[in-house]
Amino acid sequence: MIFDYLLDTLIYIGIYAILAISLNLEAGYTRLMNFGKVAFFAIGAYTSTLLSIAGMPFIVGLIGGIILSALLGLLIALPTLRLRADYLAIVTLASGEILRLFFLNEQWLTDGPMGIRGIPQPMYTVFEDNYIIFYALLVYGILLICYIFAEKLINSPFGRTLKAIRDDEDAVQVFGKNTFNLKIKVFVISSCMASISGTLFAHYLAYISPDMFFPSLTFSVWTMMVIGGTANNMGVIMGAVMIQVFERGTRFLKDFVSLPVEPYNLRIIIIGLLLILFILYRPDGMIKEKKSKGRL
Amino acid sequence: MILQVQDVEKSFGGIKALEGVSLGVEENTIVGLIGPNGSGKTTLINVISGFLKVDTGRVYFEGKDISSLLPFEIARLGICRTFQLTRIFRGLTVLENMLISSNMQKEGLWQLFFNRKKMILQEKVDERAAYEILEFLEINHLKHEYAHSLSGGQQKLLSLGMALMADPGIVLLDEPVAGVNPTLANKIFEKVKLEKKKRTFLVVEHNIDILMDFCDMIYVMNKGKIVASGKPEEIQGNETVIDVYLGG
Ligand SMILES: Nc1ncnc2c1ncn2[C@@H]1O[C@H](COP(=O)(O)OP(=O)(O)OP(=O)(O)O)[C@@H](O)[C@H]1O
Ligand SMILES: [Mg+2]
Repeated sequence: MIFDYLLDTLIYIGIYAILAISLNLEAGYTRLMNFGKVAFFAIGAYTSTLLSIAGMPFIVGLIGGIILSALLGLLIALPTLRLRADYLAIVTLASGEILRLFFLNEQWLTDGPMGIRGIPQPMYTVFEDNYIIFYALLVYGILLICYIFAEKLINSPFGRTLKAIRDDEDAVQVFGKNTFNLKIKVFVISSCMASISGTLFAHYLAYISPDMFFPSLTFSVWTMMVIGGTANNMGVIMGAVMIQVFERGTRFLKDFVSLPVEPYNLRIIIIGLLLILFILYRPDGMIKEKKSKGRL
Repeated sequence: MILQVQDVEKSFGGIKALEGVSLGVEENTIVGLIGPNGSGKTTLINVISGFLKVDTGRVYFEGKDISSLLPFEIARLGICRTFQLTRIFRGLTVLENMLISSNMQKEGLWQLFFNRKKMILQEKVDERAAYEILEFLEINHLKHEYAHSLSGGQQKLLSLGMALMADPGIVLLDEPVAGVNPTLANKIFEKVKLEKKKRTFLVVEHNIDILMDFCDMIYVMNKGKIVASGKPEEIQGNETVIDVYLGG
């Protein structure tokens, strides 16, 4: 029982860590302000759910979500990444909400607010007895791949130029770099990774509904990144651990003490406070960005 | 002529920042551009490098019309610039700043995962080139420092180093020694002079004495126009120039 709860926590941490790494690539290293992270997470969740329900294997659902997220990423990136940085923030924020309303209202496809139940779980019959252990291994295997991929991507000429774009995009062009092109690439890659995280989320719960995809999810992932350590992949994983442990810890709190406010609200207040304190007093987060020694 | 500017006009609202500006730059020379504050020198550099579009007129580089190209396209043809207020990549180390400037290393994702050998080989070549330039500018000992931790003068040197690292045909320098002590300023120009056999320089500078020593040709601007041009010794006694600087 305790063991299952622990594994459950670990699985959530793993899923959010993937999402946080993907945000870190675009926002942490490149300063592309994606305030609609939840949109890509939701696409991964709904696409693979619908494909699995239609009888497709898990891997097809996973890849389907990646492809759709890449397309949505392109659709958002092409018109906005040429404009001033704040346009991306506005458009992504809106996209997340539009998508949630789409899932809420297109009942023929998603069953609307009822959500979709009985999502098939990959290899369930094989690992039936210890399924949660299998799923934890699956999540951490994919997290490891995402982590290594992100590290390779950042410790390369590509990653170096992303960091330069973060500092001064115009100045990068002086050296013949097509910064628009590079920003699109990293945005699309991040979108794909977010979709993977959403797929893992849906098949773990075996149930999804539109109210799991509020903008507060985006906010939560941003908090993981800022507190953990912007532009440090290990840092943002630590951020995911911290926020998850905190959220779960406070869930029990109401059983022991009586609080003047709703515990859920208190949690959001404290996270908001933590975010502000970190931005003011420790902008690098728990783990600072690594300094490159010039070796790939 | 490696660079030719023809009848360029550029206005900002009511202000005519460039008015019928024409000039030519010969290959392997150092050309100076002087003029009082607000005379349009930086605007001209911005126009040549594609950061601003001309209203009318044309800019040619090696005979090719570049007036409608984007900054990165112009850079790829072999024009590199620095900024009046130094712009370096603050969050990167000195070495990384230099490596960014190399146009040999590409950002391709394919090579990153499937042709690492080529990428790492190029990285080594670039690193060696970077160390050589940093050595030449005498800031090699700072190679692993963050660029933002450098002093103003060192940052100027770094941005010059980055421009050289890009190995362009022409470098546009916008006040490369402003705020730098005279000894270092002279040193920077000595370096530029040594580089002359490899490339061409167009240098904006307020210090006339320095330009007299190092330039092959000088253009004088005032209120958006070129008001005089010639060899340093011709400029020195020019009435208009003295007027512009002393009388306005
Ligand atoms: N982006 C801009 N928008 C509006 N006006 C501008 C802009 N850039 C330059 N100007 C104006 O154009 C004129 C020329 O400016 P410019 O910066 O080219 O002068 P400069 O010769 O470089 O001067 P300085 O020696 O002070 O650097 C000035 O009147 C300036 O105010
Ligand atoms: Mg200027």
